[in-house]
Amino acid sequence: MADLNESDRMAKETGLQRMIRRPEMGAFVVMIVIIFALFWASEGKAFNALGLKNNIKIIAQYGIIATGAAMLMIAGEFDLSIGSMIGFAGMAMAMMLKWGLPFGLGEATPFTAFIFTMAMTLSLGWMIGTVVVRSGLSSFIVTLAFLFFMRGVTEVAFRLINQSTQISGLPDYKVDSWFANIIGGELFGWFYDAWFWLGGNLNRRGEQWVEGFDARFLWWLVISGVAYFVMSRTQIGNWIYATGDNKEAARANGVPTNKVKIGLFMFTAFCATMFAACQVFDTNTSDAAKGNLMELFAIAIAVVGGTLMTGGFGSIVGVVFGAITVGLVSNAVFFIPAIDGAWFRVFLGGILLAAVFANERIRKRITGGI
Amino acid sequence: MAEPYLRVEKIVKKFGPFTALAGVDLEVYPGEVHALLGDNGAGKSTLIKTLAGVHQPTAGKLYIEGKPVTFRSPRDASDAGIGTVYQDLALNQLMSVTRNFFMGREIKGPLGTLRMAEMDKIAHDEMLKIGIDFSDPTQAVGTMSGGQRQTLAIARAIYFGAKVLILDEPTSALGQKQQMEVLKTIKRVKKRGDIAIIFITHNEIHSRLVGDRFTFLALGKVIGAGKSESISNEEMRRLMSGGTEMGDLEKELAAI
Repeated sequence: MADLNESDRMAKETGLQRMIRRPEMGAFVVMIVIIFALFWASEGKAFNALGLKNNIKIIAQYGIIATGAAMLMIAGEFDLSIGSMIGFAGMAMAMMLKWGLPFGLGEATPFTAFIFTMAMTLSLGWMIGTVVVRSGLSSFIVTLAFLFFMRGVTEVAFRLINQSTQISGLPDYKVDSWFANIIGGELFGWFYDAWFWLGGNLNRRGEQWVEGFDARFLWWLVISGVAYFVMSRTQIGNWIYATGDNKEAARANGVPTNKVKIGLFMFTAFCATMFAACQVFDTNTSDAAKGNLMELFAIAIAVVGGTLMTGGFGSIVGVVFGAITVGLVSNAVFFIPAIDGAWFRVFLGGILLAAVFANERIRKRITGGI
Repeated sequence: MAEPYLRVEKIVKKFGPFTALAGVDLEVYPGEVHALLGDNGAGKSTLIKTLAGVHQPTAGKLYIEGKPVTFRSPRDASDAGIGTVYQDLALNQLMSVTRNFFMGREIKGPLGTLRMAEMDKIAHDEMLKIGIDFSDPTQAVGTMSGGQRQTLAIARAIYFGAKVLILDEPTSALGQKQQMEVLKTIKRVKKRGDIAIIFITHNEIHSRLVGDRFTFLALGKVIGAGKSESISNEEMRRLMSGGTEMGDLEKELAAI
């Protein structure tokens, strides 16, 4: 007995056991199941040249906002204003492109419209974060207020300046502007070129069918990659986890928890703006209702990806898997015409509930059942 | 006689009309365990919070190595080498041992990247020095026992430069065996010889096992102090219950 100590009671784990305990494991299994189920049910159509492009489009869109939402949740806060922020940013960008820059600064280019919008949304994110940390109120209520506030401002501004709640018929900026093209155009053409060269990717006339992925694919990869690096390898990442786990303990050790939170509210605003920019430059339109309910999708994906509702735990890789799962399911109706599209929400509700239970079990295992 | 590292002189702390500390003196020497005992409400918490820079004293002085100091914030106190290990330990359960060890004071490479391997090694070595061999510093703190967590918090305070280690009831809420582990840790820290320990406890046996010097507080005043060998067990019991005779208490109990 005497030579036994406390640390001997922790069983040594093999590499496989470690992998099973990872937070993203559940999301990974669900994703694999969905990929195969969709492949089988759509007779492969979901992953032909066009199917893949369309799936990645929606996955990337979800992934961009879910990354921001997940990082904020890891720090222990929610942002319900993401959807309204998307609407606001899209409105601001389209309005500047149509009616010129504010303060009489003249014609807007896609780049200046984007920069002005980003400056506004980042300030809003800073404001939301500051209200949350200074007031000590629940971020749920504060951001709910901003959900209504910004959606209302978006509509009012549209009607006042534009007389209509949508803008369409903007010129296609992608032709002349490299910036619009890199945000809303097509990328990774070599992938589809290679596919064509290998004998696939053919349309009915036997020509090359699809030219490339939507540019948001790249932005999703960049945002996820940077987020992964920050969370797992940097001091900021350690501070984010520490802030969400036990704020008082983090503060006692010198972590600037308020700055961490404000920074992350700005990051969700950044993600929402990227989402909006991709839409505006892709379709050359905007609408006051854009981004509706997206805050809830972002939170759902973060949870499906293994992020704990109570903060302090989660993984960016899990969020990537979650975005793929939810994106594929939401698109499934286009590939399987026999099913009713509303099944998507039934299914999403189901996996969300399952994910919450699974996450709770993971947390208990880590904290020793507390 | 060596110079005390920290000297507290006639510290008074009032919260409005309430006097929490009414002129307390205390001296702590490197390589010694100073046990601070007293009933609930005796002023122990107020005293350590004053030493840790959380409260500012109403009157009285603090000296570090003979020089007068004032602490305006907990940061001032920790810069002066006062490391406080509170009861809740300021640990994050879901994070790994290493990430907790370096929380807020991470070792950074270029671009703010963490030097994880180096940090793992330091956390492991520092904890080994005061008694636990933690083979896997990537393990979550939530899986550690209460005694191990205490050791982690102590090792962290020492590594980041604590010369005075204030331990706030480190043995309460622990099982027998874990209490002994913590006492062993305290002895190992004492053996280094360069760190002064203020050990706050309710437990007479624990304080006797590791304490070199005792101070008894009751109602904000020092009612007894001295070196371990100069205080008899009987005297100690009397002082711990706030100065009343054990015999009187027994009579009171018997009368009910």
